[in-house]
Amino acid sequence: MNKTILQLNDITVRKAKNLLLDRISLSVSPNEFVGIIGPNGAGKTTLLNVIAGFERFEGALSLFGQRETWMRSRETRLRVAYVPQLFQIDPAFPIFALEAVMTGAIGRLGLFRSPGRREREKAMRLMEMMRVAHLSHRPLGQLSGGERQKVSLARAILQEPDILLMDEPTANLDVAVQKEVLNLINEIHKREPLTLLFVTHDFNMLPAAMRRAVLMNHGKIVFDGDIATALSGEMLSRLFQYPLETFERNGRRFVSYG
Amino acid sequence: MVEHFINALSYPPIQRAAMACVLCGASCSLLSVFIVLMKMPLIGVSMSHAAFAGAVLGMLLNFNPFLTGFILCLLVAAVLGPFSDRTEMAPENMLGILFSFLMGLAFLGMGILTRTKANALNLMWGSLLSLSSSDIVLLTIITSVLFLFIFFFFKEIRSVLFNRKLAASSGVPERLIYYALLFLTGGVVSSNLATVGGLLIFALLVQPGATALQLTYNLKHFFLISVASGIGACVLGLILSYIFDLPSGASVVLMATTLFAAAYIFSPKRRWAKLKKRNISHENDTR
Repeated sequence: MNKTILQLNDITVRKAKNLLLDRISLSVSPNEFVGIIGPNGAGKTTLLNVIAGFERFEGALSLFGQRETWMRSRETRLRVAYVPQLFQIDPAFPIFALEAVMTGAIGRLGLFRSPGRREREKAMRLMEMMRVAHLSHRPLGQLSGGERQKVSLARAILQEPDILLMDEPTANLDVAVQKEVLNLINEIHKREPLTLLFVTHDFNMLPAAMRRAVLMNHGKIVFDGDIATALSGEMLSRLFQYPLETFERNGRRFVSYG
Repeated sequence: MVEHFINALSYPPIQRAAMACVLCGASCSLLSVFIVLMKMPLIGVSMSHAAFAGAVLGMLLNFNPFLTGFILCLLVAAVLGPFSDRTEMAPENMLGILFSFLMGLAFLGMGILTRTKANALNLMWGSLLSLSSSDIVLLTIITSVLFLFIFFFFKEIRSVLFNRKLAASSGVPERLIYYALLFLTGGVVSSNLATVGGLLIFALLVQPGATALQLTYNLKHFFLISVASGIGACVLGLILSYIFDLPSGASVVLMATTLFAAAYIFSPKRRWAKLKKRNISHENDTR
């Protein structure tokens, strides 16, 4: 029997009078790679925030078979890592790239224990995997957007989670850098025993390893199934309320925005 | 003149003033690291006005003004933490409203204070020479607690300063660190009301951290530079005020600004950034 790692039943989020999530139900199995895709304002980030425990919600949410509210124990938080969109950092901020990666190990170490050789070596290994080991002693604020996102991925994996949530990790990056980050995400999926949830609004920048797509609009799930079916012109035109066509190249489906 | 100052150090009020300068410089500059890196200077302003309003309230009600200042600071910290986490309003706007409300409260209290307003004005500017031994004990305790907090929770603090949301998601008790910080801000500000006063303390809550920001990328060095510049500004300010017969609070603040200006002008970080920019544009030109 396929166990469920994440189960959402009738999740609703309201802010003032706005309904951000409207009775969302979703079930995710271990090691799945799920894309949560939809236009701006569809509720994708809110859904990710609910799963990460950043957002209050109504409904039932289970993680690793345990019912959870937005307030999580340290143990549960450790098992769910989060990679945000590229965020601004003051170029003068006093943190080096390696130190930023090592913040991922702090929660696991607990209070009154300092990161040691093991954590430092693992952080360096992950930085090598993300091709940023040569930048380990550079101030984080002086790295490019793509380099910072790779550091962010290394930090999240150092946390040793079971679920990795990624909120538009390739947004605001150059196309070539986006492809590079996507390839690294594919590599993470191949190497690490992780369940991945990837939020995006860009259909042409999806990791190749992603097999399942959850399409969202107006706070609701409008489709949940395999990625090939999701990327049909008819489905996407309905989702975006805009005529979209899809075509195939090198075995992959792309969307033409007209 | 310097000899005269050294001789003056044999008098207990001057000894207490010098001691208070070191403690005030250390505690405010440790806090200023958080205030500068979390980009929340309004927290310092709100807390200093809460302490000031609380102290004026204490004078009105015949309570110990520093105790009431401390209590109001703690109340503000208790409200500020959860409220800024839950409300839809931007924290800067909320702090602005809180700050103006507390300032209004303080001036209202001063307006209806029937007895002499000199004591209340002292809370605004500070009065280094009239400090008691208990003021020094209180300052020592608060400074030690703040130091121990930073020493024992340094790695959690680094994580929270870097990004609160990421710290929370990786199992760091970020709310605990953030709320502890707010309470410690209340404690530092109210215990320093007598030394530099509710208005001038704001300079010491921002400038040492801003000075360190010009000089280092290493967080440990950042704390050390901030403390050195805070203590330096307080001690040098006191010496200059004694030698040239200047108001002590004002000369401390002006000294802190001078240190910041020197750090800004000679900032190696700014020089590196300029060099990097020049190299990038040179690379683009030669392509």
